[in-house]
Formats: sequence, C-alpha cells, structure tokens
Amino acid sequence: MQYHAAAAAAAEAWGYMAAAAAARGATTMDALGRVERLAAESAVVIFSVSTCCMCHAVKRLFCSMGVSPTVVELDEDPRGKEMERALARLLGYGGPVAGGAAVPVVFIGGKLVGAMDRVMAAHINGSLVPLLKEAGALWL
Amino acid sequence: MASHRVGETGFADSGPSTRSLTDAIQRTTPAAAKFFDQEGATYFGELEEALLQGVDGMKETEDRNSFLGTKPPTLEIFPPWPIRFQKSPRGINLKAARSTDSGSAQKTVSHLESESPGSSRRASSDQSADNTHLQEMMMASGESQEKTKMTASAARKDGKVLDAKTLRRLAQNREAARKSRLRKKAYVQQLESSRIRLQQIEQDLHRARSQGLFLGAAGTLNGAISTGAAMFDMEYARWLEENSRHMSDLRAALQAHLPDANLGVILDHCISHYDDLFQLKAAVAKTDVFHLFNGTWKTPAERCFLWMGGFRPSELIKMVMAQVDPLTDQQLMGICSLQQSSQQAEEALSQGLEQLHHSLAETVAAGGALSLGDGGGGIGDVGNYMSFMAAALGKLASIEGFVREADNLRQQTFHQLRRRLTMRQTARCFLAIGEYYTRLRALSSLWASRPRDHCRKQYIWLQKFACQQFTRTDRIYSSLDQCQLDKTLAIQAYEAI
Repeated sequence: MQYHAAAAAAAEAWGYMAAAAAARGATTMDALGRVERLAAESAVVIFSVSTCCMCHAVKRLFCSMGVSPTVVELDEDPRGKEMERALARLLGYGGPVAGGAAVPVVFIGGKLVGAMDRVMAAHINGSLVPLLKEAGALWL
Repeated sequence: MASHRVGETGFADSGPSTRSLTDAIQRTTPAAAKFFDQEGATYFGELEEALLQGVDGMKETEDRNSFLGTKPPTLEIFPPWPIRFQKSPRGINLKAARSTDSGSAQKTVSHLESESPGSSRRASSDQSADNTHLQEMMMASGESQEKTKMTASAARKDGKVLDAKTLRRLAQNREAARKSRLRKKAYVQQLESSRIRLQQIEQDLHRARSQGLFLGAAGTLNGAISTGAAMFDMEYARWLEENSRHMSDLRAALQAHLPDANLGVILDHCISHYDDLFQLKAAVAKTDVFHLFNGTWKTPAERCFLWMGGFRPSELIKMVMAQVDPLTDQQLMGICSLQQSSQQAEEALSQGLEQLHHSLAETVAAGGALSLGDGGGGIGDVGNYMSFMAAALGKLASIEGFVREADNLRQQTFHQLRRRLTMRQTARCFLAIGEYYTRLRALSSLWASRPRDHCRKQYIWLQKFACQQFTRTDRIYSSLDQCQLDKTLAIQAYEAI
C-alpha cells in the first residue's frame, strides 16, 4: 500500500512533468500538425509569403499548367512564423533560414514535393505531371 | 663564348669559392644558362673591356718574372712556392680565345722582362689599389694569369711584412666577390621568374581578347571589377579551353564510329564538365550575382541571348532538335515535352523576376516619399531610410535565387537530353551545342575587331578571317560551290549592315 501510494505520487509527479513538456512543445507540434493538415486539404498546396517573388513564380508555373493550387500566405496567418520554422525543418535546413527563404514549399496530394528547385527538377524530369494527375489536380 | 668563360673559371680566388661558383653555375637552370649566353654576353663583354683596361694598366707594372727567375711565360699559374690562394686546376680550362690573350700576355711578359725593376717600383703604389679593383673584376671574367702572378708577386714583393695585410685584403675581396656573385644570382632568378610571369599574363590577355572580353575596359568603366568576378572569368576561360578539347574528342569519336561504351565515357566527361561550370556559377553567384546576371562574363554576341545569367534552355533544345535528325517517334515526343516543360519553367521564372522588378521599383520610389517627410535629418528619418534600404536590399538579394533556379534548369536540361537520346544522338547534340557557341564567340571577336571603314575593305577582311577559320577548324568544305555561296552571302550580309 505504501508502495502503491508512492507509485501514485510518482505517477502524479511524472504526469505534471509530462504535461509541462507537452505544453512547451505544443506550439511547434501544433505548427507542424497545422501544416500537415492544411497540406492534406487540397490536391496542390503552396505555402508562400505574399511579398516573395519566387512564390509568385511557382504560382505562375502551376497556373500555366492548368492547375489551380491552394495558396497559404504565411504572413497573413497568425501562426505563420512557427509554420515557417516547421517548414524549414521539414526541408532539412539546420538553423534559422535567411529572410523567408524557406518558402515556397509545395505539397501535392498531401506529400511534400519540396522547394522551388525540386519542383523545377520534377517538371523537367517529367515526373510532375503524373504526380498531379495522380493527385487529381490535372485531367487530360 | 661568354658562357664558357663563366663556366670554366680561371678566377684568381681561393679554391672553395671558385668551386662553389662553378657548381652554382652548373646548377642554374638552362634558362639562366641561356641568360649567360644572350644577355650575359653584353654584360661580360663590358666586364672584359674593363678588365683588359685594368690589365693594360697592370702590364706596365708587371715584373713578375724578375722574381720568378727563369719562369717560362706559359699558362702555369701555380709557381712552386706555397701560396695561400692555391686553386684546383679543374677550374682552369682555357679556350682558344683565351689562349690568344695569353699569347699576347706572353709577349707582354717577355717585353716586360726586359724592363728595369725601377718601373715596377714606380708602379708599386698603384698595385695595391689596382689589385683590389682587379680582384673584383676578375670574379666574373677569366683573365687570370697576369693577375695571379700579380697577386703572387705582390704578396712576395715586400717580404713577409705585407703578407698579413695583403691576406686580409684578399680575404675581404673574396667576401665582396662572393656577395656580388650571390646578388647577381638573385637578380638573375628574379628576372627569370618575372619573365615567366610576363609570358603567362600575355597568354591570358591573348585568350581573353580572343573571346572578346576586355577586362581592362570593363574594369575602368565600372571602377574595380570584383575579385570574385575576376576569378570566375579566369576559371571560365580555362573551362572554355577544356570544353573545346572535349568537343574535339567527341568529333573524333563520332568520325571514328567508336562503340557506344567509349562514346559513353566521353559523354560522361562532357556532362561532368558542364556540371563543373554550374558549380562555378553557383560559387560566384554568392559573391557577385550581378556579374552573372548582366552577362559581363559572356561575349557580346552571346549576351544578345542572355536570359537570367545564361542561355535559355528551350532555345538550346530547339537548336538541337534540328541537328539530331533521325529521331524515333517516342524520342521526338520526349524531346518535345522537354522543350514544353522547359518553356513553362522559364516563363514562370521570368514572371517572378518581373514581379521582383515591380516590387523593387516600388520600394525605391517609396524611399523618395520618406525624404519629403518631417524636416531634415531627424532620427526617425534615418531609421526610416535604413528600413527602406533594408527592404530594397532584401529584394535585390532574391535575384541570386532566380539565377540559381535558372542554372538548375539548365543543368537539368543537359541531364535530360542525355537520358532521352541514344549515345550517338547525344554526342551529336553536345557537339552541335559546343560548335554553336564557338561560332557565336567567333562572331563576337569578329565584331570587336571589324574595321570601320569602306565596305570593300570590310569584305576583304571578312574573307581573310573566314579562310583562316576554315583552315584552323577541322571542317573543310568539300565543294567550291559552297565557298562561292558563302562569299555571296557574306557580301549580302555586309551590304545589309
């Protein structure tokens, strides 16, 4: 009984610690989760910043292919900064990225395609169009 | 002749230093030896003259044989009594020229033998000064016999009293001679190295000129050309040379109808060479993106087609499609789709860049609105100015991203061409690309050096250049008709200008 009481107390203590840890990591987990949730919502999702010109380029690329992507402007989202950090980590950037260089990031069919260079390479490869067709963004 | 004199020394100096000089001279580079041959001739000629004058001065005061008894006036330089500055006979190997001198000296000696000792006493005062003078001049030339006997006689002249003094003086002379030899050696080495450097600079200049780049002119126009850009230009020049080597390899391989395996090896080299170029461009984009973006690294004719710091991939594919004729339907479709996707990507990047232009123009214009704000120079103004400048700087920095993406596109185009064509087709394709740009660069250099006078003079100059080109390249036009056709076309083109 003593043992059980001690164990219960310990579990409580652990419980508090676990809760605190969860609260601290909640924002980043939350941001990443939000990103993934948004990415799964449409066939083609572009995370962008409204003033970034490379994002403009990637938007025009998809439009020229006849795809209408869903664009998430991170500077207009209240949790945009954290989402940008989460995206940078997804792309594999170690430290903080210079001035919004993490965007644009493209998801097709809920899966991460990558930044502009990956998208270009995939397009020249000829692998972008099948991916779009598979996700249902392109018909023909 | 001078070289022989130098190499085979007859110095009236001590053994070790003579030996060292001989070894030093034998150890010098052939270039240095050539120096002794050519430029050294005048140098030694002058020395010789001075020497002979000195010797002439000494001849009157010679009376060496008055003490030597019946010493024959031969090439014997070592009288039998002990002398401190004995040297090995190895260094002495007199040539015919010297033997004639010695012949004249012999005559002089016999003439002097008849001189009274009074003359020697008269001139003895000069001897010491002349000795020093002569010793130093003797170092580089080889008229040794008289001097040796002179010094020998001088040492013995006044008995043992002068010995120490003379010896000390001689030692000092030796030191001075050694120092002057070292100085001369250093000077020669410096001359050689600067000669080699000058040759290299001339080669680089010639290469740069032939590609139509005028680094000096560009430098003076823009102030200083940045070091990253200058280095990139040099590396690019080297890249171009190696590229032309790859092209000739490819041409030879195609003409020899080598099996696909060998062709594949050469193609791999070509592709990795292009990858090297893109790496070079990425490196310079980090430091000086505008050098790439403004096309200062390309020749004028190439600059006409500049798109985002390089060539436009869809244009390249279009040019290639005409050259690689026997394409299967599947291949044709593959190349067409490559061209289409490349066009879409280029369009997207161009529109992104246009957006950048608009936004930058707006930012800079908005900076003007700031200056019209509250009265002069408050801290708020400075802060506003800084923030506006920071925004503009950020926008300017994104140009690097565009150039990087464009280069990425170009690199992918090369790799895709390799994948979608057979070996021989790829080889023909790469060869066509290489030759296209070679012709474009030749056009640039032609443009840069065209005479601005009468049309007829221009045509003659163009014809001469064209003939040179055809003999220089491996292409030989088989039919004369083709030559004639080109001539009329050239005349038409010129009259159109």
